[in-house]
Amino acid sequence: MIEAFHIEALAHISPAWPVIIGGLIAAIIPNFTLRKALALAVPVMALVLWFNPAAPGTYGIIEFGGFTLETFRYDPLSRIWGLVFIIAAFINAIYGLHEKDRLADTMGMIYAGAGLGAVFAGDLLTLFFFWELTAISSVFLIWGSRNNAAYKAGLRYLAIHILSGVLLLAGAVIRASETGSWAFDETLSIETTGGFLIFLAFGIKCAFPLLHNWLQDAYPKATITGAVVLSAFTTKLAVYALARGYAGTDILIYIGAVMTAFPVFFAVVENDLRKVLAYSLNNQLGFMVVGVGVGTELALNGAAAHAFVHIIYKALLFMSMGAVLLRVGTVKASELGGLFKSMPATAVFCLIGAASISAFPLFSGFVAKALTLAAVAQEGHVIVWFVLIFASAGVLEHSGIKIPYFAFFAHDRGLRVREAPANMLIAMFLAAALCLWFGIFYGNLYEMLPFPEAALYYEPYTFDHIVGQMQLLLGAMFAFTLLVRFGLYPEEKRSENVDSDWVYRRFGDGALRWIWAMMDRLTAAIGNVINAVGRKLGGRMFQAFSPIGALSRDIPSGLLAIWTSALLAIVLLIAYLAP
Amino acid sequence: MSDPSKDKSDELIHPVARPFLWLDAPWLKSAMIWVFGLLALAFAGVDFFHHRHEYVPFAETYGFYAWWGFASFVAAVMIGWFGIRKFLGREENYWDKESHDD
Repeated sequence: MIEAFHIEALAHISPAWPVIIGGLIAAIIPNFTLRKALALAVPVMALVLWFNPAAPGTYGIIEFGGFTLETFRYDPLSRIWGLVFIIAAFINAIYGLHEKDRLADTMGMIYAGAGLGAVFAGDLLTLFFFWELTAISSVFLIWGSRNNAAYKAGLRYLAIHILSGVLLLAGAVIRASETGSWAFDETLSIETTGGFLIFLAFGIKCAFPLLHNWLQDAYPKATITGAVVLSAFTTKLAVYALARGYAGTDILIYIGAVMTAFPVFFAVVENDLRKVLAYSLNNQLGFMVVGVGVGTELALNGAAAHAFVHIIYKALLFMSMGAVLLRVGTVKASELGGLFKSMPATAVFCLIGAASISAFPLFSGFVAKALTLAAVAQEGHVIVWFVLIFASAGVLEHSGIKIPYFAFFAHDRGLRVREAPANMLIAMFLAAALCLWFGIFYGNLYEMLPFPEAALYYEPYTFDHIVGQMQLLLGAMFAFTLLVRFGLYPEEKRSENVDSDWVYRRFGDGALRWIWAMMDRLTAAIGNVINAVGRKLGGRMFQAFSPIGALSRDIPSGLLAIWTSALLAIVLLIAYLAP
Repeated sequence: MSDPSKDKSDELIHPVARPFLWLDAPWLKSAMIWVFGLLALAFAGVDFFHHRHEYVPFAETYGFYAWWGFASFVAAVMIGWFGIRKFLGREENYWDKESHDD
């Protein structure tokens, strides 16, 4: 553990607050420089608060409306997630320094702060508040692209995430009514109704299979900086929530295994390189979910370590593609190639991110993924282990090779653009340096893990492990060169691959439109029937009771009306006088 | 691949990238097959001299990771190509003529 200093006056302030308040202040600051200075300052303030607690415990307790809200639970699990969120917020702030968008600055900070708030939440109500705040603030990073596709994707994203929040609240309320507890801890169980709904809420945000497509739908349509920011917080918050509440839940092992494997196939033929990264994100989350599912100390260390390094190298990859998008105007693989000639520094940073995610020795992915794989094998989940090894080769395919190869090498399209702006290069440099730092000095990472003793007992750089990993990577790279050489690698072409979003974007939308049209026709038909019956009945009544009707043939209807009134008056009089 | 001699006269190429223009040379593509193939064989060959200790016994077979990596990569590409693209691939404007880069 890193030694903490202590300022008592700040002991109860969660690192989330300065970041959120900074975001709110940014909303009213028109001056660009001041706003950017604030965006850089708030993560530093958060870091001071992160260091501050003298010991693990629950701080920042607020009594509100009969509820006890725990806003700052500081323990080994929240501590590592909190730290990497703060690092991400700082690097993202540097990356976005060139962007003149007050709304993006505001929402970026509030979103990061909400992520921190959720990580440090000690009860389900506090978690719910920050959970929804992440959804509401982050959607503006998608809408910030200011085009119709982004607007629609943002709406879908918001709807799905609000649904996640509603499920979380419903589950929490049901659980509280059954047990009287709002605790956000390991007592959550999928075997209870409330616990299952909360699990589902976490699963949506974690992009479980078939619930995943909001990610591939929204992230590629976000702004350049927005995609980088989005990649850091939402899904990793969900992994944290699962680790906090559902560690050791067996079904997570299989859900995670599926998550690692299926995105690989989609990523192979995806043309939009930011969408490839979104699929890759899904794949990486799978490793973490498996770790949470296995639930041993080693496995949870694996999930935490993977989340930590993943946030950094995934941000690095998104940053490099963001730089390409800024300079070239597209990240379609079919339009790119040869960019190392124009953007050599960006290419190098992208390669470092690619090597990290592919788990090359000396890079951060190697020391993190090893923990999960060892835990899965130790616990005897052999089939899942084989799936994870397959998925490791898959990661190399889409993030290790496809992203850098098609953007910076492959066919030179003659694109001669400027290198990325200085602030982007600095942000990428910092992220790349951390990828190498934690890959080489892995002890710094391991000592921050939830179970540092178990982590420091594990040695990632054994001869066997290095040889095995190099075999895997070189075998896969040999396959790539061979497939390309013999024309067996699919060409990049402008296309769209439908995914599970087809269910609601095409089938669901079509079904709703059909139901709406049928309802329209049914309403019209019922109206016609009522009108026809009304007309028929009215006609009959008219024929019987009108002044020219059947009943008026012998006695004039006016006289009959007088007699009817008189009879009614007599009846009322009798009723009134009767005892 | 572009013409390397043309690249040298291309003033828009970043000065830092100039010493690395050979990365775009056609011979490199063929050479990489040999480089990666031989390196994969070399690392797989280590297994004949050194017994790797694994939690999963099957992974201790000679060159396991090399052939598993090779097979996984090929399987991923083929399933993506002939499974996903063939059955789930659509024209680019399938979703209401939306474009990500608009």
